[in-house]
Amino acid sequence: MPGTTARVVLSSGFSRRYTSGTREFDIAASSLRGVIKALDQLYPGLAEHLEKETTVAIDGELHEIGYLQPLRQGSEVFFIPKLEGG
Amino acid sequence: MNDITPSRYKWVGTRPIRPDGVPKVTGRAMYGADLAMAGALYGKVIRSPHAHARIRSINASKALALPGVRAVVTAADFPDHKFEYVGPERVAQNFWHITRNIMAREKALYEGHPVAAVAAASKSLAEEAAALIEIDYEVLPHVIDVDEAMAPDAPLLFEDMITRGIEPAPIRPSNISKKLEFQIGDLEAGFAEADIVVEKEFKTAAVHQAYIEPHACAARVEADGQAEIWTATQGHFGVRAMTAKLLGMSIGDVRVTPSEIGGGFGGKIPVYLEPIAAALSKKSGRAVKMVMSRDEVFKATGPTSGASMWVKIGAKKDGTITAADGVFKFQAGAFPGSPVMNACLCAFAPYNIPNARTVGYDVVSNRPKASAYRAPGSPISAFAVESTLDIVAQKIGIDPLQLRLKNAARPGTTMIYGPKMAHRGYVETLEALINHPAYQAPLGPNQGRGVASGYWFNGGGESSATVQVNEDGTVTITTGSVDIGGSRASMALMAAETLGIDYSQVRSFVADTASVGFTNPTGGSRVTFATGTAIVEASRKIVDELRKRAAVIWDVDVDGVLWEDGHAKPAGANVGDFAPLSLKEIAAKKALTGGPITAAASVNAGGQAPGFTTQFCDVEVDPETGKVTVLRYVAAQDVGKAIHPSYVEGQIQGGVAQGIGWALNEEYIYDKNGRLDNPGFLDYRVPVAPDIPMIEAVLVEVPNPAHPYGAKGVGEVNICPPMAAIANAIDHAIGRRLTELPMSPPRIRAALDAVAAD
Repeated sequence: MPGTTARVVLSSGFSRRYTSGTREFDIAASSLRGVIKALDQLYPGLAEHLEKETTVAIDGELHEIGYLQPLRQGSEVFFIPKLEGG
Repeated sequence: MNDITPSRYKWVGTRPIRPDGVPKVTGRAMYGADLAMAGALYGKVIRSPHAHARIRSINASKALALPGVRAVVTAADFPDHKFEYVGPERVAQNFWHITRNIMAREKALYEGHPVAAVAAASKSLAEEAAALIEIDYEVLPHVIDVDEAMAPDAPLLFEDMITRGIEPAPIRPSNISKKLEFQIGDLEAGFAEADIVVEKEFKTAAVHQAYIEPHACAARVEADGQAEIWTATQGHFGVRAMTAKLLGMSIGDVRVTPSEIGGGFGGKIPVYLEPIAAALSKKSGRAVKMVMSRDEVFKATGPTSGASMWVKIGAKKDGTITAADGVFKFQAGAFPGSPVMNACLCAFAPYNIPNARTVGYDVVSNRPKASAYRAPGSPISAFAVESTLDIVAQKIGIDPLQLRLKNAARPGTTMIYGPKMAHRGYVETLEALINHPAYQAPLGPNQGRGVASGYWFNGGGESSATVQVNEDGTVTITTGSVDIGGSRASMALMAAETLGIDYSQVRSFVADTASVGFTNPTGGSRVTFATGTAIVEASRKIVDELRKRAAVIWDVDVDGVLWEDGHAKPAGANVGDFAPLSLKEIAAKKALTGGPITAAASVNAGGQAPGFTTQFCDVEVDPETGKVTVLRYVAAQDVGKAIHPSYVEGQIQGGVAQGIGWALNEEYIYDKNGRLDNPGFLDYRVPVAPDIPMIEAVLVEVPNPAHPYGAKGVGEVNICPPMAAIANAIDHAIGRRLTELPMSPPRIRAALDAVAAD
């Protein structure tokens, strides 16, 4: 929806590697695609790393990275390393 | 048996007989080793007898000269790969490593490491040929223990391994593949607030998943490059991708069919035999079947890591935890990739601790590469954390369940990796045990009661399903999820519920990689949640289609048809105009109304809720022999909504049973040459029936809003608490804290001797 702003947080290791240590961003986006696109504009090439290397917690709920994942106004979006089960 | 909350569902939450039951109890189910193929060769792996050795040369000429021997493969038959970590850190895959684990190249890195393989006309001939393959080794110094592997002077497995995750990067190579760290709050300030601080070191042994069925597969690669593989696996789409990559094939040329599986627990996600069988088939032009012995399973497939850990917890006198710190050093085996990240993320996850840190080390040593095992990583750190919490409770003088309740994570609690917890469930497991009558039952001499909790993320991700309405009104459903824990039944229950038809009308199958859409492996407690979501979605599409077909039959608009109790019924202005049509009646007219009635759904399911469990046990210690008998075990677990309660209870009982083995007996024992001393069930002691009491599974149902019927993953979290719960119970029984697993009779005797000497 227009005007939706999400609080986006990267892990410290990830931010060290790809964003010169910047961890937190306020991004206007109504879906995860918008967040990834905006971050990739700030740090060209970051989208591929986010898509391949992370999973995401949106307001605490874990999701695989999917472009269509909707965001609410004020959503907290944490990109975290992918997890593996047994 | 749980008398669970009365359900608004007709089928979800019931306990019908499993569809795969009859072939299993009559011995007719086809497991990996049961596939018989005319003309198939038998493949055998030649394995390193050394823990660490340089391979100088391999000479297969004598073996190849033996009549009936059709092919020998070595690392030279597999393309090498670039050294790069691809994908996320925990599951980052480095095919330079993977191809070397499938078949050793420059060095053999553990006893049992494949060095060559042979295909011959019979098993005995393959064994004879294997003995004729001459391998010249230069034996190198080895290292087994994780602390010793981290020492500066340890023998190096990889002379150029520089620890990742440290800045600036170290100059000297080591066996430490990676360091990682998670932190929230201010540790120093948190510990300064504490009235008591407890810190302790712990060790756990490497333990195997100990599935009853050894690895087995068959492969046939045709002259045009197309391949078929039949295998016992938790994830046939993964087998397809890995085999294709390791042999330089395209995924579209490989079709994988999963057999019935005799247990996996995470250990049947990697590939071991499949690429070798395919390479032998490619070279010989014949199908090749391979079956591991139990010895091979123990020596060459992944156990979970052993670990060396340190945990420190500070708390106020009222029980409020103010700070927690932990260091977790995990054996990765011969190649990087232990579950230490999961251990770091799960260690303090059940608790609201504002100041916390976890530091993890992934360390290689001359052992088989660690593989996933039920909630990988979490049970190991839980042993250390939950044991330390018990000491905190003792020092403060608070009941251990009440200590946990006071500090329980709830929705809104900040997790150590950043996000806030979104789901309820933990508090409810604590309350279930606080109110359990057996929790206050009196104990006898030499008896103790122990409590522990566990956390696991649970999984979601990609799954596919199809639903077909047959012409007689029965329904066939297929998924891409290998059925390990009864998923065919739970999928059929969810389909029957959604379609509104009888469970007996639904037949449930697992399809090969060419017959259903991509599906992630059966692991991570993901199938009922993710594949279940796909089944429900496909079933809803069928309902929409059945309404359309009824509308065609009645010649009305589809909006004038509703679906209820397995029947199309007139709605709105049509009410009273038509008699309801059953699914069977609509199916009979499928050709007249548009053709086959089928639907497929593929999802990337997210929003899986985590698993929480709290458990207590009563043990009795025999002061003479040191044997620990588990007298009572009660496990409360938040299961969301139990789709098939008997299977959910079975998962909980299975996880606890494995935990009891991990706690009391199971361990990899190496001799001074780095060779495994106990590669068989006689000496590697898994629990047997007399070791296990009736495990009472208490189903706590806090529905997951992200699943159509509220399901959460239930397969893994149950194995997290038993080691600590039993250690805590032993401490209360004998007054001595055991900090090293397994807590076997010799260790208990030593502890009793120490008590006597005090």
